[in-house]
Amino acid sequence: MTIIPEPDVVRTPAPTAGPRDHSRSRRWTFVDFAPLAALVVLTIGFAIANPRFRTLTNLHNILDTAAVLAVVTVGTTFVLFMGAIDLSMEGIIGTGVMVGAILVANTRNDNNLGLAGMLAILVVGVAFGTLNGVILTKIRIPSLMATLGVSAIGLGIGTMLFAGNPISVTDPILVGLARTRWLGFTAVTYVALGAVIAGWLIQKYTRVGRYAYAIGGAEDVLRLSGVHLSRYKIYVFALAGLFYGLGALLLLAQLGSGVVQAGSGLNFSSIAAAVVGGTLLSGGRGGVLQSTIGVLVLAVLGNGLVLVGVSSYVQNAVLGVAVVVAVAATTWPIRRKLGVVK
Amino acid sequence: MEHRILHIQSPSRRRRVGYLRMSAFALATALAVSACASTSSAGDAASTAAADTNSQAADAGSTEAAAASSDSSAAGSTSGAATSACASGKYKTVVQVRDNVNPFYTSWLAGGKAFSDSVGATQTDLTYDNDSSKQQQQIKQLLASISPDEAPCYILNILPNNDSDAAPVVKEATDAGVLVVTQWNKPADLHPWDGYDTWVANVAFDGKWVGYTMAKTLFDAMGGTGNIIELHGQLDSSADKDRSEGLKKALSEYPNIKVLDSQSGDFVRAEGLSITKTLITKYGNDINGIWSSNDDMALGALQALQTAGMNDVKITGTDAVPEALDAIKAGKMLATTASDPTWQGGEGLALGYCVATGALNIASMPHTQREFYAKQFSITKDNVDEFAASKLDVGEYDCNKVFDRATEPIG
Repeated sequence: MTIIPEPDVVRTPAPTAGPRDHSRSRRWTFVDFAPLAALVVLTIGFAIANPRFRTLTNLHNILDTAAVLAVVTVGTTFVLFMGAIDLSMEGIIGTGVMVGAILVANTRNDNNLGLAGMLAILVVGVAFGTLNGVILTKIRIPSLMATLGVSAIGLGIGTMLFAGNPISVTDPILVGLARTRWLGFTAVTYVALGAVIAGWLIQKYTRVGRYAYAIGGAEDVLRLSGVHLSRYKIYVFALAGLFYGLGALLLLAQLGSGVVQAGSGLNFSSIAAAVVGGTLLSGGRGGVLQSTIGVLVLAVLGNGLVLVGVSSYVQNAVLGVAVVVAVAATTWPIRRKLGVVK
Repeated sequence: MEHRILHIQSPSRRRRVGYLRMSAFALATALAVSACASTSSAGDAASTAAADTNSQAADAGSTEAAAASSDSSAAGSTSGAATSACASGKYKTVVQVRDNVNPFYTSWLAGGKAFSDSVGATQTDLTYDNDSSKQQQQIKQLLASISPDEAPCYILNILPNNDSDAAPVVKEATDAGVLVVTQWNKPADLHPWDGYDTWVANVAFDGKWVGYTMAKTLFDAMGGTGNIIELHGQLDSSADKDRSEGLKKALSEYPNIKVLDSQSGDFVRAEGLSITKTLITKYGNDINGIWSSNDDMALGALQALQTAGMNDVKITGTDAVPEALDAIKAGKMLATTASDPTWQGGEGLALGYCVATGALNIASMPHTQREFYAKQFSITKDNVDEFAASKLDVGEYDCNKVFDRATEPIG
């Protein structure tokens, strides 16, 4: 029996079917595993360099430190899916932390709303997130500017609520989140784990998650097929806001007091974490789980550098170099496809 | 891309223009809101700041009008006004600090307000969010809005963002003939007596004293022996450098104190928390004490220690923020120091006011009065209640007493 080779024509896909065909047959490549490989290499490296690094206590510690960043990064990831950017987390967290601190049992007033107060933090997050989305889609301000403005608004409101006096929270449930441990892991860690799983489920099984992905990949196609785009963009920003709100709740638990700048620096680290994990700034690629690996890479680096005894003078520089190298490694094989970089 | 171009040429273009206008409006609103938020006074929030600026503009306008109408009568006194007198007698004070979120600066603004109220002056609060160019811009705008007649009525109490920011501020204030007092930061080789006729003084605080006193308090509490961790602030800041120098001096006097690790938490609480957590993993119960370059990081460290159940570790900070005072009261923190920011807020204005009213004469003030270290306080459990209860005594700003807190630097 002779095998008749298929004619060449069949192998060459029709031009119109090109992109779709490509995405369907996309195989797992090095790019997808680079962040995980980096995490493994770093972990092994630090474990060899310092015996303290490989203790169970340190694992508890790393995950506890990474928790807030993980939750915030899940939110950021959905926005990055769309090819948009979100820099509003500092402001949203600023207001969220202050609202929470004022509503639960605290040292300033007699409020004691408990869980309702904590829920209010999430509501603040969703409200600000929705505002982001509305400004982007209805007033058509680019997400970079819109979210920066919202961040400033959030910090402003937080500052007014702060009114010159810090507030310590005394609510046992809230404070307990950071102190209670099961199997050595803090409750905060479990909440963050739950948030990551929820984020992954939303990404995979809900319309909002899938559309966010599709908007970043091929917005035009989606619009032509009659999808109400702006509605879904608002949903995505609101969803991101929800995660920022949850981040604010966990931060409040960890710090034990209302500090307006609690979220300071999270905009850089969450976007860096998402990108290190393989979520592209140009949208349409990556995922909640990838971003979470990015969070772990940053957390392991931060922890390991201190344990190994790298001078604090060079720690920041090392962290910055690591981020740039990781991003370069992740995007190297597809750099031609990225088109214009600006 | 193609799709977008199509859209712009499509009939919905007019709507686009509408959107553009709306977006410009919204952007302006957002910026205005954020600007208000950052210039607002601590307690009374954004609205006051906006009102202040308005009333200031209105005042300047009316004064000019008044000056124009009574030209002949004013002519005699204007020549005198160049040296000191404020013709209207309505003094206007301006206090400029980093932000209105940190309790340290809110106390500072409140102290200024207490003094301003005591002499019937109206105070404007300015904050620049650690942004040097914003600080310079605020000063430029302010000075540009002051008419020459009004200049002697203004008194500025300025916290320069960095050392280098002091020079343009005092230069411009001198050119405008407005009295200014700076605090903390200035280049070491820039002095008020080098031709700056309206730069009254620079009030500073000896950071070495802070680092040294806190270290000694910590080491004594540890019985002179044990292991400590250093938590530093921004490593390139003079505040951290000076405090660290004091710490080094103390360490040389206590040979049995060992430094386990030295890390930077950038003066931020969340950083202090995460670094201490990591260091607890590294050193565990070997840690006996933590020397922190400010209270915020110390409070973060305290949080980490409590989570780890390590309640015997002694912690010192500095700044005397209210939460640190509470922690000292509760025995969770060992000590902090206070430069008394409330006093600082009023002091900067009082020095200027004494010059403006003629009680002090800049030209005859000795160098030790134009550049001095002010007294600081060490706060432990023994005196924390006393310190917390102490109220600002406006009597300290009597022109005969304004230099009572001047001290010598430690060697």
